[in-house]
Amino acid sequence: MTTAFSFVFPFLLMMALCQKGMELLGKRSTGWTPTVILAAISAPMVILPMGGLPMGRWLISLYANPSIPLTALLFSRVLKNAFQTTLLDTGAILTCRGFSLLAGAALYPMALGAGAFDPYPAGWHFSWLFVILLSITLGLIFLKNRFSVVLLATILAYNLHLLESGNLWDYLVDPILVLVAIAGLITRIVKA
Amino acid sequence: MGKHLIIILSILTLLAYAWPAWTRFSTTPMTTASFSPLPRSEFYGNHTPFMDQDFINPDSGSDMVHVGSICEMPNKQLGAVWYGGTREGAKDVAIFFSKKPPGSSATWSSPKIIVDRTSATRELNRYIRKVGNPILFSGPGKQLRLIYVTITLGGWSGSSLNVKISRDSGHTWTDSRRLTLSPFFNISELVKGRPLSVNMKGGDNENRDHFAVPIYHEFLGYFPEILWIAFSRKNQNFIYEKNRMAGGNSFIQPSIAPLNTHSATAFYRCLSPARHIAMARTDDGGQSWSLPKFLDLPNPDSAVDALPLSKGRILLAFNDSPNNREILQLAVSSDSGVNWIRIHTLENSPGQEFSYPYMIKGQNGLIHLVYTWERKRIKHVVFSEAWVDQKLEQAFEK
Repeated sequence: MTTAFSFVFPFLLMMALCQKGMELLGKRSTGWTPTVILAAISAPMVILPMGGLPMGRWLISLYANPSIPLTALLFSRVLKNAFQTTLLDTGAILTCRGFSLLAGAALYPMALGAGAFDPYPAGWHFSWLFVILLSITLGLIFLKNRFSVVLLATILAYNLHLLESGNLWDYLVDPILVLVAIAGLITRIVKA
Repeated sequence: MGKHLIIILSILTLLAYAWPAWTRFSTTPMTTASFSPLPRSEFYGNHTPFMDQDFINPDSGSDMVHVGSICEMPNKQLGAVWYGGTREGAKDVAIFFSKKPPGSSATWSSPKIIVDRTSATRELNRYIRKVGNPILFSGPGKQLRLIYVTITLGGWSGSSLNVKISRDSGHTWTDSRRLTLSPFFNISELVKGRPLSVNMKGGDNENRDHFAVPIYHEFLGYFPEILWIAFSRKNQNFIYEKNRMAGGNSFIQPSIAPLNTHSATAFYRCLSPARHIAMARTDDGGQSWSLPKFLDLPNPDSAVDALPLSKGRILLAFNDSPNNREILQLAVSSDSGVNWIRIHTLENSPGQEFSYPYMIKGQNGLIHLVYTWERKRIKHVVFSEAWVDQKLEQAFEK
């Protein structure tokens, strides 16, 4: 299960790159036909071995636990490019960015040695982290924010042990997600 | 979102959180463990002073060897692992294994490779650039376990930890499995110290062997941690988590000496300009540790190893200099590590390196010490506690 799921993020990334490539070439990537063709190109590129390893596993070598929110952001983008369907609307994406920045700020400095307290062990089993996350998820559901569905998917993925990690923090946030959130916020500020 | 969808999503969310909550409250968390009673440390063994030494790899085929580790295997043989290659961190570095049957006339077997970067790449299904620090340990069950370092990118700060298990005392090994211990790309987790057997009662814990493995982190911060790992006796599964012993940038490579079921002292390699070994203490089975205090023993930014002896004493192997690894010294403390008496100089050769000591106490009470000898060999020294007492008396007489 974990190994199979490890190909999902590389596949979505390849799809997004292919869609961007089509766009740069002035070709249309929307609709069933282009999507099926791009998926047929992306899947072998991720699964077939290159230098002794499937290309997807080369990415996993460096980045074994892409978080569920980042995977959801990528999936939402691929879906929008393919079918013009909005899975995560602007409100959900902004919430995701803010949430990721807060989670990253709470986790990384302390987990990397700033101070004696390490919040990372709170993700190994039910703890204050789970209670906070449950509260946020329920709050967002009642606010009708679609990011709540991503947070629900996050705890489900944790329960199913879809990532290599057994720690909830790794399902919730990752360094690339924080970078994406920072880049998104900077872009928004510059545009404003 | 409609009203019905909100209700459905809320129920799903509550159910999704109910599972980890139920798991947590229906099982004993690993970090409430206590250290196992210490029959081995309390067992004095042979009352005749005895000391012997040999090289585990007298005909090393490697230009460089480092970080030896030794254990008494389930079949009562001694097993040892280390890494070797053309140089530290080179791509040809492999982890070697050798064993020695009981008996004074027995010799170490020819080293065989357990894992190298090619086999680690295949087993872990990801790119591995090099391998490093291994530790070998067994426990109450029949399994022999290896934890070792792999690096995909960069130097030691790019390290991750992996586990291999053998059920036939090192003849065959399971494929490597990766441990995820850091949220930042899972890098900068390393191992050096001797694992401790810990007690866990209730539920599934009765079918598991539990260990506290001293590990450390070195990236932006440099600090000691404990890996709590429980191996199933029925299959090759294991569960794990970790907690921190100290924060900051000054202390790595913890060596833990249990004093009783809930108290232990830890000794740290010092990276700070203080250049002294640091010590911390726990009285709650390793959940929390006191702030590190410097001992009156030097440390040249080099690993130390502490082993509990009988009568509550602790034996320490360390480099007795603030500047280099030329002197390897043994010292004994009778007051839980506060004061030390140097009892024997194992090595003292200017310009050479004798480092990374690792000690165990066997079922027969004999103490086995392995260390890196001039980066060319792994040396094995075996002695009785009576020999330690003899050296202690001689030190007092001086």
